[in-house]
Amino acid sequence: MKRILTSLFGVFCVLGLLAEDVQFRAQAPNRVIAGKPFQLTYTINQRARDLQPPEFNGFDYLAGPYTSQSSSTSFVNGKRSSTFTLTYTYTLMGLDPGDFTIGPASITCDGQKYTSNGVRITVLPPDQNAQPSNQSSQSGQSGSTGSTSSTSSARSGDIFVRTVVTKTNVYEQEALQVSYRLYVAGVDFAQMGNTIKLPEFTGFLKQELELGDRQFELEHYNNRNYQAVTLVSYLLYPQHAGDLKIEPAQFEAILREQVRRQSRSIFDDFFGTYENVSRSLTAPATTIHVKALPNGKPANFSGGVGQFTLTPSISTTDLQANDAVTLTIDIKGSGNMKLLKTPSVDWPEGFEPYDPKVTNNYKTTASGYSGSKTIEYLAIPRAAGQYTIPALSFSYFDIQSGQYKTLSTPEYTLNVRRAPGQAANEGEAQTYTAVNKENIKELGTDIRYINPNMPPVNNRVASSALSIKALLFLDLIVLVLAMLIYIIFRRYMRENADASHMRYKRASKVAQKRLKLAQTLLTGDNSAFYAEIEKAAFSYLSDRLRIPTAELTKDNIADLLRQKGVDNALIDQVTEVLSTAEFARYAPTSGSEKQALYDATVNIINLLENQKI
Amino acid sequence: MKLLVILLATIFAQANEQYAAGNYAEAAAMYQQVLAEQPSATAYYNLGNAYFKQGELSQSILAYERSLRLDPQNKDARYNLRFAQSRITDNITDNQAFFLSTFLSNVRNLLRQSTWTWLSLVSFVLCLAMALLFLLSSNTIAKKTGFSLAVILLVFALSSLAAAHSLDKRDTLRQEAIITQGIVTAKASPDRSGTELFTLHEGTKVRITETLNEWCNVTVGNYQGWIQSQNLERI
Repeated sequence: MKRILTSLFGVFCVLGLLAEDVQFRAQAPNRVIAGKPFQLTYTINQRARDLQPPEFNGFDYLAGPYTSQSSSTSFVNGKRSSTFTLTYTYTLMGLDPGDFTIGPASITCDGQKYTSNGVRITVLPPDQNAQPSNQSSQSGQSGSTGSTSSTSSARSGDIFVRTVVTKTNVYEQEALQVSYRLYVAGVDFAQMGNTIKLPEFTGFLKQELELGDRQFELEHYNNRNYQAVTLVSYLLYPQHAGDLKIEPAQFEAILREQVRRQSRSIFDDFFGTYENVSRSLTAPATTIHVKALPNGKPANFSGGVGQFTLTPSISTTDLQANDAVTLTIDIKGSGNMKLLKTPSVDWPEGFEPYDPKVTNNYKTTASGYSGSKTIEYLAIPRAAGQYTIPALSFSYFDIQSGQYKTLSTPEYTLNVRRAPGQAANEGEAQTYTAVNKENIKELGTDIRYINPNMPPVNNRVASSALSIKALLFLDLIVLVLAMLIYIIFRRYMRENADASHMRYKRASKVAQKRLKLAQTLLTGDNSAFYAEIEKAAFSYLSDRLRIPTAELTKDNIADLLRQKGVDNALIDQVTEVLSTAEFARYAPTSGSEKQALYDATVNIINLLENQKI
Repeated sequence: MKLLVILLATIFAQANEQYAAGNYAEAAAMYQQVLAEQPSATAYYNLGNAYFKQGELSQSILAYERSLRLDPQNKDARYNLRFAQSRITDNITDNQAFFLSTFLSNVRNLLRQSTWTWLSLVSFVLCLAMALLFLLSSNTIAKKTGFSLAVILLVFALSSLAAAHSLDKRDTLRQEAIITQGIVTAKASPDRSGTELFTLHEGTKVRITETLNEWCNVTVGNYQGWIQSQNLERI
């Protein structure tokens, strides 16, 4: 027997160990109505004792603790599992409306102390039953919590649907939440009917919100406490400015109503007869005032409205050509993440960019999408060098401050090293392969830049300007001048020509004169005679050939005569005379020789005179 | 006078800064202030750039044209004018224009009017000198060279004179104009009810042959029609 007991004890110990950790929890409704009792329970899954409750500040302690325990054992697929629950229940009552906290309780289990969680309880004011008519006035007064009941006038039973919007004054693209909330009080609500007609939400982009577990909860509204539940909820993004109207929504509720019959049987009284009654509920229309985004949108405006932060990062700044580099930007925040444009990176020339990879990681929340959007830009540099990736900027409209904000990444400088294969200067065996020549790649065209130099302020243009009239006048003057020059020169030439002609005509006479003088010298001085003969010959030739004496030499006379067409025999004679005269001047000669020379001179002059020169 | 010069230089420098900062409208206004006092090729050129950057194609073409009137050798202005003209909608194909006349007018536009007049005068003087050489020289070679040079120089002097005269006419009559309106419809007669002949777009250069009240008879390529004068601006 003792053995069995010990073994049983052992089994229990093992079970105790197998059981999960001790769980000690406090539970109470979140919302209670003042003056109405409610229950606070402490639950523990192990045997325990010495519950020490906290102080119930703000609540009236009515009763408790009532202790109850339950245990169950089950076999599932041959596995045994057992649960044990010990519950302490207190009955409390809220006194004044407000938020209250009940601190943790403590309990002792296996010699160890455990503490429970604290509980927050909102105490709602009690119903005020006397005002059935203020319902409608309340509904018209405020748009933000605009509501109307679609109930019968009976105050006692009230059921209606409210349109609850979080904001009525929003910017374009700013998220707002619209919920349809069912309020029930005093009627026996069975379920929602199938007829639901939701508005179109024209002008909005809508996104349905997951509501999770829908449960009725107490809500104090219009001085009355209702059981309320959100039926459906949407996140709306206004797409354009202006007053956008949300049309009324139609819902159907099914209520259970007691049927009163004339013929009452005993069972009717006892069980009651109920009938399902359908009731149509209309949620009122609301108007949303949508403000346009202010002017002065930055050029790089991404379309984002909300609040964002930007975290840039780059995989490397020092890499080899043909290795990839990744620029990552992480946009975090809340707003219309879905509509954000992906900013583009201006990769420098020589980079081969790939399409950016966008990873969205955001959730729909009551304030819009929130989370992060990660954009990865991948590019592969193809040539070595220093490159700068220009700053990437991203602008959005900040709802909090009501202005545009720009986030930007820093400028990254990349050092791209030559890839090993590209290096040309390795070892002695250099091979220079032909380089692929490329034409200059035109990336874009634009006008040329302004000339920043102020032009000198002067009247040079004006002073140098020459009008056509002035030109023609000057031309005329020049023409007249030229004509004058021509006339003067012509007259001078003519006079010149006249003089030489005279001499030409008188050449023979002059020569005769000189010869006469030479004749007188035949017997006299030798040198004077020859000089006179020479002079006579030269002056005659000069006159006849119309060449100044100074330009005349013995050598060119023959040429000139030949040009004039004199026959060679005569030319020989002329040269003979001239050389004899020159030669004999300084040598002693006889009188007969002089006579011969004299005769020869007279002879050639006569002969030349007859020639047509 | 000295003060005005300094003031103009300051405005010009400020305009350059505004342009560099991308405030093209402010820059354009300042260049116009400078131009009102002192028209210059550079200021017109910069004004044209400021207009172009604002997308005002016709105004920029006007400014470039005016800049080139003052300084025909400004390569940048010529380039930018061609660039701006490449953006205009109208593609003018003048089938009747003889290629030589286009060539001649291009040659004419290479120099300023005063340059052409001076050139004409100098070449005329040289021509006369050569003529005198021909008339008075007794040397055969000198005579021959003198004669041929004189003829060439005379031709040059006369054509320079013609160029100068043509430029003078252009600058005094101001027959060339730029369409400033986005789209203009040319009519067959100078009134609104006239038959619509053809449409012209902003920036197109036209030639005004006749004016009647507020209507201008314009020629573009092979087309001729009447346009209201508020739709165009003379260069």
